Amino acid sequence: MQAGRDYEIEEIRPQYEARPDDVAGIADALRFANTGEFSVVTWGGGTRIGLGNIPTGYDMALDVTGLDRIVDHTPGDLTATVEAGITVAALQEALGRHGQFLAVDPPLPDRATLGGTLAVGASGPLKWQYGSIRDTVIGMKVVQADGTVTKSGGQVVKNVSGFDMARMHIGALGTLGVIAEVSLKLTPRPAGEATVLAGFDRSRPCLDAALGLFRSGMMPLALAVFDAQAERRMGTRGPRNTVAEGGWRLAVRLGGRPRTLDRQVRESRAATGGAEADVLGADDAAPLWRALSDFGWDQATRPMLGFRANVTPSGVASLIEGIEGIEHTDGLDPAVVAHPAHGTVLASWLGDGSVRAPIPGILDRMWDLASQTGGHLVVEQAPLAARAGIDVWGGMVGPDTVARNLKTQFDPNGILNPGRSAGNI
Amino acid sequence: MAASITDIRSAAAELRGIVGDRYVIHRPEDLIVFEYDGSVDRAMPQLVVLPATPEEVSRVLATAHRYGLPVVARGAGTGLSGGAVAEEGGIVLALTRMTRILAIDPADQVAVVEPGVVNVDVTAATSDYGLYYAPDPSSQAACTIGGNIAENSGGPHCLAYGVTTNHVLGMEVALADGSVHWLGGMTREAPGYDLRGIVIGSEGTLAVATKVIVRLLRQPEAVRTLLAIYKEIGQASAAVSGIIGAGVVPAAIEMMDHLCIRAVEPAVNAGYPEGAGAVLLVEVDGLRETVEEESEEVERICRSHNPMEIRTAADADERARLWAGRKGVLGALGRLAPNYYLVDGTIPRTKLPEVLASIGEISDQYGLPIANLLHAGDGNLHPSILFDERDADQLSRTMAAGGDILKLCVDSGGALSGEHGIGIEKQEYMPLMFNDDDMGAMARLDPAFGANGMLNPGKVFPTGKDRTHVSHSAPVALTGAGAYI
Repeated sequence: MQAGRDYEIEEIRPQYEARPDDVAGIADALRFANTGEFSVVTWGGGTRIGLGNIPTGYDMALDVTGLDRIVDHTPGDLTATVEAGITVAALQEALGRHGQFLAVDPPLPDRATLGGTLAVGASGPLKWQYGSIRDTVIGMKVVQADGTVTKSGGQVVKNVSGFDMARMHIGALGTLGVIAEVSLKLTPRPAGEATVLAGFDRSRPCLDAALGLFRSGMMPLALAVFDAQAERRMGTRGPRNTVAEGGWRLAVRLGGRPRTLDRQVRESRAATGGAEADVLGADDAAPLWRALSDFGWDQATRPMLGFRANVTPSGVASLIEGIEGIEHTDGLDPAVVAHPAHGTVLASWLGDGSVRAPIPGILDRMWDLASQTGGHLVVEQAPLAARAGIDVWGGMVGPDTVARNLKTQFDPNGILNPGRSAGNI
Repeated sequence: MAASITDIRSAAAELRGIVGDRYVIHRPEDLIVFEYDGSVDRAMPQLVVLPATPEEVSRVLATAHRYGLPVVARGAGTGLSGGAVAEEGGIVLALTRMTRILAIDPADQVAVVEPGVVNVDVTAATSDYGLYYAPDPSSQAACTIGGNIAENSGGPHCLAYGVTTNHVLGMEVALADGSVHWLGGMTREAPGYDLRGIVIGSEGTLAVATKVIVRLLRQPEAVRTLLAIYKEIGQASAAVSGIIGAGVVPAAIEMMDHLCIRAVEPAVNAGYPEGAGAVLLVEVDGLRETVEEESEEVERICRSHNPMEIRTAADADERARLWAGRKGVLGALGRLAPNYYLVDGTIPRTKLPEVLASIGEISDQYGLPIANLLHAGDGNLHPSILFDERDADQLSRTMAAGGDILKLCVDSGGALSGEHGIGIEKQEYMPLMFNDDDMGAMARLDPAFGANGMLNPGKVFPTGKDRTHVSHSAPVALTGAGAYI
């Protein structure tokens, strides 16, 4: 048990707490829970523990932050094997000493664990160029609901031996097993970095510029757009010269050796606003990219109501215009951050909780907008009352029976984070 | 578990009603074409059915389900691990008529294709938009997207760009009972379990893809290929480590050893010098400036390991000449021995020198020459054991040496297969990597997808059959002229 952690979720405190420091300890805890049919929520840093449907049971908190070792890192192989409870920041720091990194940038890396980040399955702005966090995992050790420890994949980057079981657990919110150890494919750090930052008076030209870059031959590490409210919420971590109310920002993160970087900066400026665009060095831009990763999860930007929408890149602009068209109420202020090249739109309404009446209306409107653009919508944050009785994932994508069968196969007693995944699995 | 003749006859009649008379094959002389794939294994299906649409696939599966007939989905049959062989008989579902490219969306850089589309045709159809499909198995001129999904195929360029699972956003699949579902879709993320990711690489045992949404990449602005020839393979290995250590991830790093060079030189006149012990081929692509900067770095590193010679190519013709030697190796091995057994395994790339030395010892121990062809950048080895199948003793030594090489790969921290899959070929070796609990978890996917052992049965998991000795009742090709790596 870690001092000061109360493991509370949705005002429920668990009856049991376990904080093992090795894989065998996780297995012991799960055997105990499985035998007693106690519901288990696995805890990493707790940064996104509220994500998902309201749990249908919660008897035991299984804290895996005690498993925080780097088991192996062979720089020459660009691979590492680490325990799931290591924080993303600690891992990046160790890898960074060898000029390498895990090419994901999830929110709150100082607290977020690798295992939790994988269970949630969503990473950050770097996703477009480097791929999803799913693509970084080459092997995984999982403790099954009954305490059996199983592994899949391996420690090599190219491997088709046996089934790709890790994919089943990534994004499954710990409902099919507890991720205990992970082997990862690493990436060399770019030789140099720069960020081009441009301002626009409306969302459409901002997104046109972003998608122009997406479709060009340029290879930005990340492409992000955000509105004036989001910028204001980022405070000192955001751009120094703020964009006017109603305005939009495009941030283009570029990497490479000097000539590559020069060319990309030149072309990105030309594509995004010519001389108006600012160019920031790696250090100057780092707080902005950190703020964009953290958006919606840190103190300053944590909303009353937060959505993640996934649409096609070309669907982003009309979704954002739809969001801009939602009627505004004082005390519930909208802010939007989007990563257009991978079709992610983070829409949030910030407030102190005193204004709640418009929430059901906004929820309905957001579901409509997402389905009109052919995308998916996840309610990431909302007051408990607004989430009661809904599936925050927008229901199951794909065959319902297969997902339910997987749950029955891998967790027959239904003890692992019950009810929280899509389809209330 | 062969179904009765009466059942087969009445199933065949129903299937003809679905796909038409021409597309249900039942005569032994016609079935024999579907008896094998690119591997050594053979088995005769009872029927071969060639549907033209996803609806027909669905109805064929529903019919097979009702009759309790196993179904083996098949693309071009280029697989090297027996994935398309009807090990337990039943129906071979050949998807080669489903070759339509249904949509190309250059704005979102995706295409929707049917499973029978040949890999290289996706790139051909999208190149006018400046786009291409990245996974490039060496069989890409023949193999199909559906087969690539089953095997999670890679290719020489997967070092930088990843394998099939990294490039498939979604797919429509038919399950064993014929029900049709979408897994994933047009968006880069979708809530819920990643069923798409589970099915890709499941070797046709969970579902049959009927439509596939692939992600396309923008064609690189420039490509440069460098070929370095070394006296010793150790120098070439050190150069590979140097390149990776410098933070360069080339599009491809290929390597071949002196036996490959000896075989291929007279065949393609690549002009490799006398005494060459290893050839390294490094390809860099991307923006013009990236290619300049990275190829300068690659050349500097290659030169620092004392090459006999370095050649570079910037245009397509020159590149083709540099690749000719590499691509001609398999065809040329026939000059050294009547047969070869191509092994596929992966090791951590830093172990390359010691593993190659150990393969040399295995070669000596069994008295069989072994030619090494490697996707060196990602540690994917293709040792080719040279032998004469007419000599029963050589054949059994070959199979034993192949097993020893796989054990060596696993013991070095590697894997049983880098890109060919487990199928029949390696199912008995699975316990080298996975214990019963690990395999037990994998086996639970089958009932969850409702396959119940009826989709591509008898594959991937060990069955206890002796695979270390290949039967002489059929001629043993052990990866014939049609094989690619």
